[in-house]
Amino acid sequence: MTSNPTDEQAGMGSIQTVRGGTAVSIENVSKWYGNFQVLRDVNLHVATGERIVVCGPSGSGKSTLIRCVNQLEKHQRGRIVVNGTELRPGTKGLPAIRREVGMVFQQFNLFPHLNVIDNCTLALVRARKLARNAAEAVAMENLTRVRIPEQAKKFPAQLSGGQQQRVAIARALCMKPKIMLFDEPTSALDPEMIKEVLDVMTRLADEGMTMICVTHEMGFAREVADRVIFMDGGEIVEQANPAEFFSNPVQVRTRQFLSQLLH
Amino acid sequence: MSFDFAFALKIVPRVLEGIGNTLVVAILSFMGASALGFLWEIARRSNRHVRPVMQFVVDAIRSTPVLAQLYFLFYVLPYYGVVLPALVVGVFGLSFYYSGYLSEVFKAGIDLVPRGQGEAAQSLGLSRIHTVIFVIAPQMLRNVAAPLGAYSVSILKATPYLAVLAVPEMLGSAFDVASETYRYAEPMFVAGILFLCLALIAVTLVNWLERYLGVTTPPH
Repeated sequence: MTSNPTDEQAGMGSIQTVRGGTAVSIENVSKWYGNFQVLRDVNLHVATGERIVVCGPSGSGKSTLIRCVNQLEKHQRGRIVVNGTELRPGTKGLPAIRREVGMVFQQFNLFPHLNVIDNCTLALVRARKLARNAAEAVAMENLTRVRIPEQAKKFPAQLSGGQQQRVAIARALCMKPKIMLFDEPTSALDPEMIKEVLDVMTRLADEGMTMICVTHEMGFAREVADRVIFMDGGEIVEQANPAEFFSNPVQVRTRQFLSQLLH
Repeated sequence: MSFDFAFALKIVPRVLEGIGNTLVVAILSFMGASALGFLWEIARRSNRHVRPVMQFVVDAIRSTPVLAQLYFLFYVLPYYGVVLPALVVGVFGLSFYYSGYLSEVFKAGIDLVPRGQGEAAQSLGLSRIHTVIFVIAPQMLRNVAAPLGAYSVSILKATPYLAVLAVPEMLGSAFDVASETYRYAEPMFVAGILFLCLALIAVTLVNWLERYLGVTTPPH
């Protein structure tokens, strides 16, 4: 993996275009916290270049599901295959798999003791073994991509929430991931900062990045997603393309959820 | 026999003869205790089978008198063929004893680092060891600077225990003067003042450290 996904996937046709190959396979996955089952027999296949939005009420297992994709949470039953590698308990080389899967968190999780550029270069230098100046070039390129290069020398606490989240996206992109996971990236933001983060995510989608986004931003889902997944009680209740999903939901639970979002 | 200030001043150089050993023992023991304590804590967190074992080790270290540990190292180990210089045994003994306490300090310091920090590091593909060194430890250090400073003074004050191993140090020097002159008030007073000075230096260093660590991360 040497080429930049931006270069090789830029200029793709319509948003509906989906490249061949499977990026993520989730087959019959179940997970329990003690006696409480958070995931019930979940099946989800994400094609390379596909944009998935996962929504659902809190406690529905949507965050747990995407956290299983980079094994921040371990599933107990079923199969998860990411970029052709099956994730099992004790899978060797988990760090190497995680480098191909970027993750953006609700709480940003920037490293507070490092400035913006060091946040971006840490894993490049330590995990990808890049020389410092090469790593800084990559970092600046991605900070420019999220339109924040002028903040490179600042510390996270000196930035607004929206800026911090854009840095977090840049930090993940520095590893040139094949898949990006977003775990409610705008839920901790003040309303006026949501747009700048969604704009960055939309641009990323336009560039052809494979994305799984847990979000309540239904405007984003409508505009960007190839498929919207609705989860409730640890299972996938309904999935459809956005037009179908919003105008013609089949399941009662989906309709109830959507009606609650509207008021 | 009243307190003789002139005598007190006169014996300062003699008491100071022990300060070198006091400093060497205190500094090396502090470094040793920090390294061992951090190691215990990392081991304790490494997996759930090791955790109870390490918890027992840490509790055992803290629950036995430091003198018992020093006597054990100095008088019992030679039976098993391990003969070490008294100074080395002293430094190792104090390091070991205080490592039990410092591991609890590090535990609290790491607990204060938000969970998401480790998750973010992992999600970037950093190995466990890199996560600890570059993400967790620097943030932990900021949380533990104050208690670490308190323990550095505590270790400094524990150096006279090495008298039982016949390691000459500052309180020992003061005691030598006392037994030669049969005057106890002045040597003990001088030794106390000198320990106080060293403790104040240690506290100042810790304050600098705190300010230095604070500089890199402005308050919210």
